[in-house]
Amino acid sequence: MIKLENIEKYYANKGLKNYILRHVTTTINAGEFVSIMGPSGAGKSTLLNIIGMLEEPTYGLYEFMGENITQLNERKRIELYRNHIGFVFQAYHLIDEMTVAENIEAPLLYKKVGSAERKSRVADMLDRFNIVGKKDLFPNQLSGGQQQLVGIARAVVAQPAIILADEPTGNLQSAQALQIMELFQTLNKTENMTIIQVTHSEANAAYGSRILNLQDGLIIK
Amino acid sequence: MFRLNLKIALRNLWKNKGYTFINIIGLSIGMASCIMIFIFVRHQLSYDQHYAKKDRIFRVTSYFKYADGEEYQNGVPRPLGPAMKNDLGMLEEVAMLQGGGGIVKVMDDAGKLRLKSSEQTFYVEPEFFKIFDYKWLEGNPQQSLSAPNTVALSEEMAEKFFGDWHKAVGKTINYQNKTDLKVTGVFADVPENSSNPIKIAIAYAGYVNKNLKKWGSVSSSSECYVLLKGGADVADLEGPKNAFIKKYYVDQTGARTDHFFQPLTDIHTNDIYGNFARKTTSKSSLAGLVVIGIFLMITACINFINLATAQAVSRSKEVGVRKVMGSMRKQLIFQFLTETFTLTAIALVIACALTEAALPGMESLFKENISFSMLEHPVIIVFMLSMVLIVGFLAGFYPAMIMSGFSPALAIKNKISIGNSGGGYLRKVLVVVQFAITIILITGTLVILKQMKFLREKPLGFNSSAVALVRVPMDSLSVLKYEGLKIRISKIPGVISATFCSAAPSSGDNNTNNFSFGKAEDADFNANTKTGDEDYFKTFGLQFVAGKPLSKSDTIKEYVVNETLLKKLNVTNPEDAIGKLMSVGGGFRGPVVGVVKDFNNMSLKEAISPIIIVSQKTRYENIAVKMDSRQIAEVSKHIEAVWNATYVDYVYSSSFVDDDINAYYESERVMGTLFKVFATVIIFIAFIGLFGLISFVAAQRTREMAIRKVLGATTMELVGMLNSSFLLMVFFANIVAWPVAYIFISKWLSGYTYRISLSIWPFIVAMVLSMTITMITVTLRSYRAARTNPIDALKYE
Repeated sequence: MIKLENIEKYYANKGLKNYILRHVTTTINAGEFVSIMGPSGAGKSTLLNIIGMLEEPTYGLYEFMGENITQLNERKRIELYRNHIGFVFQAYHLIDEMTVAENIEAPLLYKKVGSAERKSRVADMLDRFNIVGKKDLFPNQLSGGQQQLVGIARAVVAQPAIILADEPTGNLQSAQALQIMELFQTLNKTENMTIIQVTHSEANAAYGSRILNLQDGLIIK
Repeated sequence: MFRLNLKIALRNLWKNKGYTFINIIGLSIGMASCIMIFIFVRHQLSYDQHYAKKDRIFRVTSYFKYADGEEYQNGVPRPLGPAMKNDLGMLEEVAMLQGGGGIVKVMDDAGKLRLKSSEQTFYVEPEFFKIFDYKWLEGNPQQSLSAPNTVALSEEMAEKFFGDWHKAVGKTINYQNKTDLKVTGVFADVPENSSNPIKIAIAYAGYVNKNLKKWGSVSSSSECYVLLKGGADVADLEGPKNAFIKKYYVDQTGARTDHFFQPLTDIHTNDIYGNFARKTTSKSSLAGLVVIGIFLMITACINFINLATAQAVSRSKEVGVRKVMGSMRKQLIFQFLTETFTLTAIALVIACALTEAALPGMESLFKENISFSMLEHPVIIVFMLSMVLIVGFLAGFYPAMIMSGFSPALAIKNKISIGNSGGGYLRKVLVVVQFAITIILITGTLVILKQMKFLREKPLGFNSSAVALVRVPMDSLSVLKYEGLKIRISKIPGVISATFCSAAPSSGDNNTNNFSFGKAEDADFNANTKTGDEDYFKTFGLQFVAGKPLSKSDTIKEYVVNETLLKKLNVTNPEDAIGKLMSVGGGFRGPVVGVVKDFNNMSLKEAISPIIIVSQKTRYENIAVKMDSRQIAEVSKHIEAVWNATYVDYVYSSSFVDDDINAYYESERVMGTLFKVFATVIIFIAFIGLFGLISFVAAQRTREMAIRKVLGATTMELVGMLNSSFLLMVFFANIVAWPVAYIFISKWLSGYTYRISLSIWPFIVAMVLSMTITMITVTLRSYRAARTNPIDALKYE
């Protein structure tokens, strides 16, 4: 599903190249649950951003679902966002002015899903994540764990092929973190959703089927 | 999608209440001002628009070219109408309109006096109503006004005279204590936005001077209207008109005369000619107002843009999230525009309320009824909607472009700051533009007010205070009572002196005549002639540089001239003029007995004219009474009583010379008030905008300030740091504004012969004022930011 070949990323600073990623080559197949690990500054987030097309690599080849997308126009990229990719952030990044239900509904609006269908899918999500009672609350009325649940519901509702999660449990207490990780595992197993997460924690990484260890921009294992 | 956008927009506006408030206040005040300017301009441009044939109607005007000047006149020689009817085939209709006024008396059925009042009247040719389609309630103009001594009344007048207009036709009214006029028609009231406020239309056939053949005598009360034949072009009239001039003006040696065809729609907005409504609003003042309106809107839009781009930072996360959820840029732009339009729409509602509230003040300032009825004038709705559209796009598009352009990767990491949110540089430019506009208005206001004060306080060369001008009837019977009236008025305690005269030394009523001085032939310029009796000089405090006042006489025996006249004749020593023989208009040849010191005889926009003063009883129109300034009220009452006892059949009317002189500067007064109001509004808008902006900057830099404070900076240093960039911008705005303001102001001042010299002070005052207010506004907020406990700011990191 994802094929990275010799991905490099550096920032030129006064003539010196400051490498973030070097020769990253890997393939991630559909249905995998990959954890990207490594110390701070290893380039984990940058790699995830490149996979999520939020950043462009300096060199290298990136194929997403068999399509070379190293250079992609905005329209095409947004098409991919709408249909194939769901994001989960460490800081949840819910839209503060929207209620829980509206937050979950938002991607469907962009995907131009019909109103009735939207309603049922949002209801389905609320139900599945056990947040029906919170649907009319605003994000700042929820705890961190609940916000992240909404964040995941929002990522999943559009039925993406892949979920990209940047330290999804970084801001959460361990009990809540556990709940989130189990949720990811269920999604991966039952719905065959591809998941790529960045994490610091060995325990969280263990939920995945594969670990990519990054150090100073290189995959070491 | 749109409903959701709207909902989000409202929630967002509610969340940032402070900025929403600032934006709405600024926008609504700006919009209210624009709406008011629009309805005023619309009202002015609506004058004389309600006639079906308005595009083919022209007023014939006169033009005189002298050796040393020219004169434009709305009146025409009386024989011109019939001559044009005869000679110019391209004209479908020609109608003379003779304005005037007099005493109208209405008797009741028993023959007793029911009502006596002084009214404005018109002698009208029936053809006039073929040109202007008045609505006739009763009667038919072509028949009603064909016979002499018939009159048609407007509905209002008919009701005033007879209680009910249905009863008017067939009754008679008495005019000028002489003629009985039979009412033969009633027409609907002429709308107020009309340059010919005809309420009493008397048949022209009964006008005494209708057959006068004097081509050289022109009165501003004799107007002539023509209706061009359908399909004809007024430019094609030029040839026939020149032939016409050649035919009727055989002697073109002194003043060369010409006539123009002035479009009907030009009458109200062309201030070189007068009209019967005595109302003109020049195109340049309308243009000035429109410019101010645009300035106001720009200032309010700049507030909006600045606050929105500054606020963009806090919206960046939302943008990032929406983008990775699959939102297209144009959808984001649409969302932000929805917010702007929501805000603009709210502002519009408030603006309408403000306009409604300010309308009475505006009407009293302009002394006109200005309508804000959207049903009556749907164009107001169109204007308001287009204003919302324009403002929405102007103010909303740029911030929407900036915000929707954020890179999602940066936005999500909260790495977008006020510096790179775009618009940092542009924001500075906009603030400078905004303040430059503000400063231009402040400077302009200061200069206008100073010039007004100068006009009010400049000594005119005669004493105008506490002098009342009481009109006297001019018919031969009344003239006989002049002497008695003067004696009785002079005896009233508190009256210092009284004089019969045609007009005060400074007046809008001026007669110019040719004259000869010393030799037989006429001088090559005309002189302004004033009539007054022997007490004229005492009453108005005119000073003599040579000779003595006129001695008592009922006819022209002697002459008094002013210094300017001698200067123009190259007589350097006034004493040399005494005893020289002169005559006016080829009349009586008599000696010059005195030379008066120059006094201003017209508005201070004009230079002093050469003036000749003579005594001539039949020309007196007023008795001027100088009274003790402490007893004006009682003395005035007393004078009125004496007058009424003397002239039982007439209606008393008087005015004060000071008021008449102030009336010259009516448009300056209005402009002055407008500038004061709009300068205040624009200062307010600009400074609340500034307050919003500094709030954002302070919020943005809270952490930086906390760190600086921990490092040892004092509160004052921090305040200084925040303030300096704003002060610099305002200072720069001053530099930009000065040359522009200088050009505008010196152009405006050049319209006055007597004017203040433009000093640097208004500029300095504007600068000090703008800098001080900036300082206060900015410090209010920056001081609070600098005072915060650094721990509060830093603990979130």
